[in-house]
Amino acid sequence: MTDEITIEETIKGYNEAIFDTDRDRALEVVHEALASGMTPEDIVFKVVLPAMDQMIKAISEAFDTNLAQHYMTAQIADSVVTEMIPKFKQAPEVAGRVVIGSAEGDLHSLGKRIVIGCLRARMIEVTDLGVNVSPARFVDEAVAHGASVIGVSAMMVHTARGPNGSLGVRRILKERGLEDRIKIIVGGAPYRYDHELYKTVGADAWAEDGVTAGGVIAGLAEEVPT
Amino acid sequence: MITGMDRLAAAVRGEKSDRIPVFCNLLDQGARELGISLREYYSKGAHVAEGQLTMREKYGYDNVWSLFYVGKEAELLGCREILYATDGPPNVADFVIKDYDDIANLEIPDDISASPAFSEERECLRILRAEVGGTYPICAYITAPMALPAILMGMDKWMELLFLGPADVRDALLDKCREFFVKEMRAYRDAGADVLLYSNPFGSTDIVPMKFFSEKALPWIEKDIEAVGSQGVVYYCGGARFNKVIDVVLEKTGIGVYYLSPLDDIASAKEIIAGRGLTCGVINDIPLIDWSRDEIRDEVRRLIDAGMPGGKFLFGTLVMPLAIPEQNIRTMLEAAYEFGSYGRDAG
Repeated sequence: MTDEITIEETIKGYNEAIFDTDRDRALEVVHEALASGMTPEDIVFKVVLPAMDQMIKAISEAFDTNLAQHYMTAQIADSVVTEMIPKFKQAPEVAGRVVIGSAEGDLHSLGKRIVIGCLRARMIEVTDLGVNVSPARFVDEAVAHGASVIGVSAMMVHTARGPNGSLGVRRILKERGLEDRIKIIVGGAPYRYDHELYKTVGADAWAEDGVTAGGVIAGLAEEVPT
Repeated sequence: MITGMDRLAAAVRGEKSDRIPVFCNLLDQGARELGISLREYYSKGAHVAEGQLTMREKYGYDNVWSLFYVGKEAELLGCREILYATDGPPNVADFVIKDYDDIANLEIPDDISASPAFSEERECLRILRAEVGGTYPICAYITAPMALPAILMGMDKWMELLFLGPADVRDALLDKCREFFVKEMRAYRDAGADVLLYSNPFGSTDIVPMKFFSEKALPWIEKDIEAVGSQGVVYYCGGARFNKVIDVVLEKTGIGVYYLSPLDDIASAKEIIAGRGLTCGVINDIPLIDWSRDEIRDEVRRLIDAGMPGGKFLFGTLVMPLAIPEQNIRTMLEAAYEFGSYGRDAG
């Protein structure tokens, strides 16, 4: 029998590991907590998700966070949740469905990967469309998967602003009368340098970084009627 | 006639010229000047050189670039597929490193200057040196060893390897990238590049935690600069902020020029550098696409007012997207010449 570890100790240990980008330590904290009797549900909902929210809070308060921490937060959260879900007493409810990809002509995938990790940890079903995705494919896949949010990642100005990125997705949603059912979120470097750009490209929302995007998308998914 | 090199040299020495040096990083725009496609433009070093010379002459700024596009370095290491766009920079479309076995097989050319993949850059540099060598600084873009794997295997795969290991594979790749970096730096210097932009996002606390920077990134930066010397080297983190590390980088490497992020605070950077080097204040050029004339002038003035007092200051741009209207480029540059003029002191 392992000594009992309090939830506060687990949260503290996990958060410190995340901020230090130390995956091994984060997993160790989780496994120690599990061995001491904490439920997989508590690990996900009281440790992992609050840690993501704390990261978002730190970002919004201009506390020092960085890309490596965002990346590790997402990767660790994704792997812990993937390990814990099969141990849940009941399968968790799907909190929303999202398709995500990089805009046509854009081959960057890191930001998208961070967002996907964060969304999966939030019980959101994510379909990764990969890179260089056409506007028509974004919409077709969203319809096919019953997604209420399309995430369009673009790391370059021309792929963010061009007609085959978010603007193209908006055009098709409009033509097909899907605007009430499917929302668009954008992210990537150009949006960090121009906070109004998301409006120019016809998106409903944007996020400064992948971890924040997870929270914004979860909110959008809740707003859209199913 | 005062040249761009005169202005840069004066700024580095902390002396006044007619105005502060103004660097404008126009790249893809060269194809538009020549009336050819980006693919055709970048196929010949002579085109790139002509584009650079034409644009510098037309707008009057102080530098020229030997950089084609960032993926060019991946081509030197075996990348054979580049994705061209009509409205933006070319990108690496086929990663040289697809799995860890490819790292062991990655070959660094013995002499980059003699490498066929360098021939057009060499030609570009030959023309630039013949036309403006010694009068306008010739800039080269060199990705730091810690950042180079991002264009060889993709940023997400590199982050995974860098932070999660295996450590021996990571270190083997970093060693190869260092070897390439040293040779590449030599090739650019031999070909006549004066300003060597050392691009390293991992040297920014926007990208890595301070602990990682201090324990991992900084020792690599120190070794990089120790291997090539700091002459002409410019510290740049790909547009990410680095005010928090300037002091230690300056102290440990002796790099004398800092090309800030548009998101860095210029006055604070100048305070940290404290006359020990040249501060380059960088405009956020993405909103330049939509800004009005007044907005552009106000922003240029704000940056110059923050950086020019006390000298040792250069005004620069970041990536200058192709979508920026020509008129806005002119407005920005005219404002930089006007507000950056030392005659303004007397007026």
